[in-house]
Amino acid sequence: MRSLLGAAIEEEADITLVDMEAGLEHLSRSGGTLAYADVLLMIMEPSRKSILTAARTIALARELGIPQVYGVGNKARLPDDLEFFESVAAEYAVPLAGIVPHDADVVEADRRGHILIEGKGDPVKDAVREIIDFVDRALVPAT
Amino acid sequence: MKLGIVGKGGVGKTTISALIAQTYAARGLRVLAVDTDSNPNLALSLGLDPAAADQVPVLPRALVVGSGDGAVTPANLLARYGVRTPSDVTLLNAMAITQAGAG
Repeated sequence: MRSLLGAAIEEEADITLVDMEAGLEHLSRSGGTLAYADVLLMIMEPSRKSILTAARTIALARELGIPQVYGVGNKARLPDDLEFFESVAAEYAVPLAGIVPHDADVVEADRRGHILIEGKGDPVKDAVREIIDFVDRALVPAT
Repeated sequence: MKLGIVGKGGVGKTTISALIAQTYAARGLRVLAVDTDSNPNLALSLGLDPAAADQVPVLPRALVVGSGDGAVTPANLLARYGVRTPSDVTLLNAMAITQAGAG
């Protein structure tokens, strides 16, 4: 049975993003509306702990039947972190949807509690656009 | 299309979620962003000031897992609990879903 929120998501929105701060396991205990996604993006940073968290998520995502799971390497200081994320993607056989560079403007915005204004954090905004392009291509049914 | 963003605390989920939401909204799509954290920060990342962020209503658990009593339509749900942010993304706070016994 579809929940009211589930109905709202289907009828009133084109894209619904669920910021799963609570974690996939936590959400899965509360029914499918929030836990199930068409695409799951696992955000990682250049730390082994964040990779391990992502690895645990992969198994649960498969159990829940989430069809597409991708990694995103965040706060990347290039080129070392790019190699790190690519090797992790290969190790766990999870494709990368994108790499987001470490950015001083984002750090500053976070410090102040502000959003990124026009002209600030452009490398990050560009990286996000590429992630969206990747996701859009991934959703096109194979012909 | 439903997009889930997950990851260890502090990796930047909320910042990236907000940027993805805003980018889709800028393309003219109807975007819904759902915050599930007990410390909801997505509002700030979407451009609400702290006072406005505190005012975002919490979606009752019953409406997240149940179909409601029939009186509330999906559009009503968004009108009542959704908050329009400066970049046209509609924000929902679903933190009640992660609180045991709440709602």
